[in-house]
This record gives sequence, structure tokens and C-alpha cells, in this order.
Amino acid sequence: MRRRIVVTGFGAVAPNGLDAEAFWAACIAGRSGIERIASFDASGFPVQIAGEVRGFRAEDYVPNRKSLKIMGRNIRFGVAAAQMAMVQSGLKESAPDPERFGIVMGSGIVPTDVEEIGPAVAGSLDAQGNFDVRRFGESGQKLLFPLWLLKHLPNMVAAHVSIIHDARGCNNTIVTACSASTQAIGEAARILERGDADVMLAGGSDSRIDPLSLVAYHLLGAVSRSTRPPAEVSRPFERDRDGFVLGEGAAVLVLETEEHAKARGATIYAEVAGYGSSFDAFAVTKPEPDGRGAIRSMREALADARIPADAIDYVSAHGTSTLLNDRAETAATRAILGARARKVPVSSIKSMIGHLIGAAGAMEALVSVLAIRDGVVPPTINMDHPDPECDLDYVPNRAREMKVRKVLSNSFGFGGQNASLVLSEYPG
Amino acid sequence: MTARRVVVTGMGLVTPLGSGLERNWERMLAGASGVRPISRLDVSTMEVRIAGEIVPLPEVPEDAHVRELGIHSRFALVAGREAWADAGLGPGGGADPDRVGVFLGSGKGIVEVDRLTEAVKAAARAGGAGALDKNAFLLRALETTDPYRRHEEGYERSGIHLAAALGARGPFWVCITACAAGNHALGEAFCAIRRGDAEVVVAGGTHSQIDLMSLAGYATLGALSTRNDEPARASRPFDRLRNGFILGEGAGVLVLEEFEHARRRGARIRAEVVGYGNTADCYRVTDPHPDGRPAEAAMRRALASAGIAPSAIGYINAHGTSTAQNDTMETAAIKRIFGPRGEAPPVSSTKSMVGHLIAAAGAVEAVACVRALEEGVLPPTINYENEDPMCDLDYVPNEARERRIDFAMNNSFGFGGQNIVTVFRRFAGA
Repeated sequence: MRRRIVVTGFGAVAPNGLDAEAFWAACIAGRSGIERIASFDASGFPVQIAGEVRGFRAEDYVPNRKSLKIMGRNIRFGVAAAQMAMVQSGLKESAPDPERFGIVMGSGIVPTDVEEIGPAVAGSLDAQGNFDVRRFGESGQKLLFPLWLLKHLPNMVAAHVSIIHDARGCNNTIVTACSASTQAIGEAARILERGDADVMLAGGSDSRIDPLSLVAYHLLGAVSRSTRPPAEVSRPFERDRDGFVLGEGAAVLVLETEEHAKARGATIYAEVAGYGSSFDAFAVTKPEPDGRGAIRSMREALADARIPADAIDYVSAHGTSTLLNDRAETAATRAILGARARKVPVSSIKSMIGHLIGAAGAMEALVSVLAIRDGVVPPTINMDHPDPECDLDYVPNRAREMKVRKVLSNSFGFGGQNASLVLSEYPG
Repeated sequence: MTARRVVVTGMGLVTPLGSGLERNWERMLAGASGVRPISRLDVSTMEVRIAGEIVPLPEVPEDAHVRELGIHSRFALVAGREAWADAGLGPGGGADPDRVGVFLGSGKGIVEVDRLTEAVKAAARAGGAGALDKNAFLLRALETTDPYRRHEEGYERSGIHLAAALGARGPFWVCITACAAGNHALGEAFCAIRRGDAEVVVAGGTHSQIDLMSLAGYATLGALSTRNDEPARASRPFDRLRNGFILGEGAGVLVLEEFEHARRRGARIRAEVVGYGNTADCYRVTDPHPDGRPAEAAMRRALASAGIAPSAIGYINAHGTSTAQNDTMETAAIKRIFGPRGEAPPVSSTKSMVGHLIAAAGAVEAVACVRALEEGVLPPTINYENEDPMCDLDYVPNEARERRIDFAMNNSFGFGGQNIVTVFRRFAGA
């Protein structure tokens, strides 16, 4: 018998809520966390909005204040989400066997901050104002924060979380950009299933709302340059969408073997029933128009869960609000759902929080768990005029109460990396 | 149902010792060093001026979709294509692309700080009095950034380019568990094939950190050797006079395959993957756990997963970084499992020759394990001259040694505390 993997806790830091319940309440209310960028002055730049996390106090979650120095925003969000998930799961009181407790986080490239690197570059210029490598060695490098490297390694999120919670088992960091944290949850479930751990923290954290990332995403034509009010810019599957909006934050789930969860009397919110991943092998910068790679990842996840597509009640979409993604994803989802395609709700919370890249999939998996718990699915907001080529039921603008038993949660990365999870009610 | 077995059917390498599996293996057995003065950058004023730099960089066919591949993608493509061809999986090779996965441990592309000069100058001008104006930085960066180049710096890009080049459409991921990532990808690929998620997984690691920011960052942490005048003698794992690691660069890629799948298509089987263990230190993000208990636990898990006693191991390819901390800790951990010198198997560190390839290190070392099993010869630890009382095992000093072995263990311990151990078995028929 294959071990069953269950969800027994969760935590989140999101642009529209500083904990999981606040985030969930905001999503159900259709409340956007996208606003004008406040962390730096973006005036004059074609993109001036993002899903920033506001009012977050890392000190509330980091036990050792000294370590804040070596924690960038992505690490702080991840540590906070993990802390909240641990508290909620009851594992703070009844700690798991440390040797059988592990972590898999989705993470990604940590942006080079101008305040961090600027002085070093400025200190390396010659009389003509050109960068001089020799001066970097002599003087420039001394202006770097000495431990800057520790803030820039993506595996440090999982490293800090493991130290704080004494998780001495399997430890991994997946860095597949937009699909990273869906894969982190899938990989953690695999580790539990094969008996290598009893409890895993799994999720993602990311923060790339900084000048250099914004410039690169803008020049690649990926982010929206719309001048609408900020909350109206991210409009997945809608006719007038023109790119995604960057977001930041973290979500962490507590996964356990059913046996371990039952033995300690844990509240079980859902089951991780299936996981699949695939690669497009089509083009390295855009999805396959017919979504074949996405179809394979969804099929793999359904097969892994041993359920037909007919059993799916709700699809938590990747839905980035880019033309290419939304059309390919619609085609793929339609192919999977078949005759029921227009009857199954498919919504994108990116309409409210933007694209959290390495944390996106974990936010969406969390929403899937909460949809099962509460019997309500979040809306896709800003759905004024559906794209004629996007003809599914995107749960336009208003949350919908309904019984949710099985959810398909999808992430389709820019580059062709696809991952899908099936989350199921428990007992299913 | 009997458990699915996983075998190695192809390997590829690009390291400071050169491009190509056989060239690397010959030079490793000869005890050659690939460490040299850094030539890619003017490092005359840097504290560390030597590395395992690959000169010249290998040529790769450019992908039509990108103008500038990151160096990590280049290395992955070169080693990955070699492994793929070595496995006989080129056109008509007989693997269903949907059942071929790619798992890589990967660093990111090089962050070229000098390219930020114009934006930083604008920020300094607008900020005045030593302050930096982010808005000015942003607006000037808009005019001076090459977005494709920046995009190609992403960790995941190496795996994306490799999977696209091979037409691999099955399970895909890229991990970064620092110095353990390459070995980590192999361990998880082993699990994925055993579980039935794929028939073939192209797995390994790729990385380069021979750049200004990394050299500065590691030097500040005191991690790198400053033996600048004797590059070939600078990486000296387990030697009493070791004083830090040497950055290397490159990639190691292995084709892991389900045994029956390999046999059906008549593939040459180089070795079998039989064990994998993964633990976390939970100590400090900057240092390995000094008592080595978590590293020991990873080795014990790998042995348990392989279902073998410690005495079955005939060779350990050590993490052996040439830092005071790692080598002492690793030796103590090995001794607790395998006993003292005389009882414990020979242990060598190929980092003595190629330096530390970080995310690629564990994969390059796995290739050395597989070749050792195939050929019955162990690669040496070069520059081993002075015994350290805290490091008192048989490190295969300075010269390769003929020894027929049945099992080899590959240790990788990541910066941040991730410990990954894999075990390989000599393939002696079904």
C-alpha cells in the first residue's frame, strides 16, 4: 500500500494578507494586493506597480535577531511562513523526530540590490568613470556587505528554516522559476511516500520586486505596462490583459504521512494525492501554443492520484495574465477536462497577488487546500471581457461557494517546465 | 513486484582538466591539476588569484532562441550531450521522450557587476553625498541592461537548455543545494526512476563562480586558499597545510536508466546506483557541524538504502574540500562508521585536482566513482604531503591505485548544511 500524504498546517505571507487566513479572506473577497511600488521610487519607469508585501515585521518570526542581518526579504518571508505553519500544525508543541523531519522549498535568484552593490561599483571606477577591475580588488570589494553571499544563495531559505525548527532530514531547494514551489510540494510528498521522512515543510518564497529584476522583466515584454489602477492590471484570461504583475511572498505547507498525522491527532485539511511534472521541449522562452507539455504534467498528476479528470472539481490555474500563457493553458485545461471543460471552475489568484515566481505554486496549492476546507473557490478578478479564445469558467470576479473534493493546481514555467498537483479532501 | 533497478549508461564531463570523459579520467589517474592563475579576469588586486578555470571555454552550438547562453548552460550542454551520446541515446536511441527526465543541480550565470556601472553612476550623481538614488538607477538600467543576458543568468536555464537540446519531455527540475546539488540531482533521479516516474533521467550538476563577486564573497568568508604562487599545489584536501578550497568550474552529467530499459536496448551498463541519503546539519549557515554527526547520518542512510554493510564499501570519494573544517569533520564521520585506518576503505578527493565545482562537484565525483568501479583503479588525492593528526585515513596519496572494488560511496556536503551521499555498485551482469 502506498503511503498517503496529508496537509496538516500552513502559513503564508502575501501581498493581500500577512498570514494564511488573512490572505485567504482577501482572495475570497476578491481583494487585490497590487499597488504602486512603495519600496523604491519607480516614477518615470514604464512599470510602477507590483504585489508588494506591506507591514510585514520579520522580527515577529525570527527567533534570533542577529540572523536578520543575513536574511534578505525572500528568506524572511519563507522563515515567517514556515513558523506560522509549524504553530498552526501543532508541531511546535509536539515536535517531530528531527531525523525524520525535512524541508523542500521553491526559491530562486536573489536580486542584486543597488544599495548592496552600488557602493562597491562606485568604489571601483577609474578617473574616466569606467569600471576598473583592479580597483574593485583594491577598494570596491571592501564596500560590499561582508556576508552578502549568504543572502544570495537560494538554499539559505531552507537552511534557516531547518536550523530554526531542527529539521535534520531531507533538505532540498528547487529553483525552476515559476514552477519551483509546486515541484517543492510534489518532491516533499515523494520523500514522505517512500518513507524517508514523517513530516516535511514544503512551499516557496520569493521576492524580486527590485529595480534590476523589474527592468529585465519589462524589457523581455513579460510584465504589464498598463496604466489602469493597479488593482485592475492583472487580468488573467481577460481580453485586455497585457502581461503579468510581479508579486512577492511565501507559502509553506506542513505535509505528513497519514499515519504520523493520525498518531498525533493532527487536524487534516487535505491530502496531496498526485504530482506530475514535464518539460515542453518546444522553445526555451515560450509555452507550446497547444499546451502539450502542460497536458502531460496534468495527466501525470491525475494518473499519480489514480483518478480520472472527471473527478476534478476545481482547477487552480497558473493564469499569469500573459497572452501566450493564458491561451496555451486554456487549450491544455480544455483538453484535460474534455466534455466538462466549461463546467469546471478554473481561477487564477494571480489576478489579486500578481506572479510570485518561486512562491507562486505554493500560494496556489494553499488556496486549493483552503477551497477544500471551506467549500468556496476564489475568483479571477478583473474579468470584464473574456478573451474569446479563453472560454472556460474562470469564476469571474466573485468567489463561489461549492463543494470542492479534488483540485488540480498547475504551474507552467516560462521556459517549458510544467508541474501539477492533485489535492484532495480527506478522507477522500 | 520486484524493485526497479537503476543503472548508469552514459557520462559526460567538462572540468578544469579538460573536456570529455576519457581525457578527464586519464588526467585524474595521472594526478594532474587543473588549477591555474585566473586569466579570464584581471585579478591582480584580488586576494585570491587562482582557480580551476576552464581555458578555453568549450564551444557549444548556440540555441536559436537566445543570444547569450549563461556559462552554466554552456557547461551543461557540453557534458550533457556527451553523456547522451555515450549512452547511445542520440537519434533513434530508443527512449520515449515523454519518459526521459532532466534533474540538474545548477548554479546561476555570472553576475557581471561591471555592467551595472552606468546605472550606479547615475544613481550616485542623483543621490549626491554618497547616497544612491534608486529611481535614477532604475531609469538608467532601463537603457543599459541586456534583458536576455540577465534572463539567462537564472538557475533553471541550464536545465531548460539541456532538456530542450535532448528533447527530454519527462520529469524536470533544477535544484540548488550549494556544494551538494549535483549529487542531490543524482540521488533524486535514482528515486524517480525506481518509483517509475521516468525510464531515463539525465542528471548531474553545472556551475561556475569564477567571477568578481563570488571571489570576493568566498574570500571574505575565509573559505578560499590564498596559495596564489603555487596554483597546482593549492588544493590539498586532508593535508595538514591545507588552507581553504579552490573554486573550480564545469559540469558532470550522468544518464541514469532503469535496468530493464537499458538491457532491452542493448545499452552498455557502466555501474548501478544503489543508495542515497540526505540530511541537514541544523547548525549554522556558514559552517559544517563540527562533530560531523549529520554527515555521518547521511552516509548511514545511504548504506541502509543500498542494503549493505559499511565493510562492503571499497572506496569513498570524499567531499574533501581542502578546508580545515570539512576535512576534519568528514574524517571523523567516516571513522565512526568505517573504523580507523586499516579498517576504513581508501578515501580520496578529486577536488585536489579540479578544485571545488560547487553545484557540479558531486556529479563530477560520481563520474570518478563509476570509472573507479569499472576500471578497478582509484583516483588519488594529490598534494598530500603532510599528515594531519586530525585526518588520519588512507587518502590514496598522490598516485592512483589499482584496487578492484564492488561499491563506491560519493559524499557531498553543501554550504548551508545539506548532506548528500550516493552509493554506486560495480555492474557485473544481471
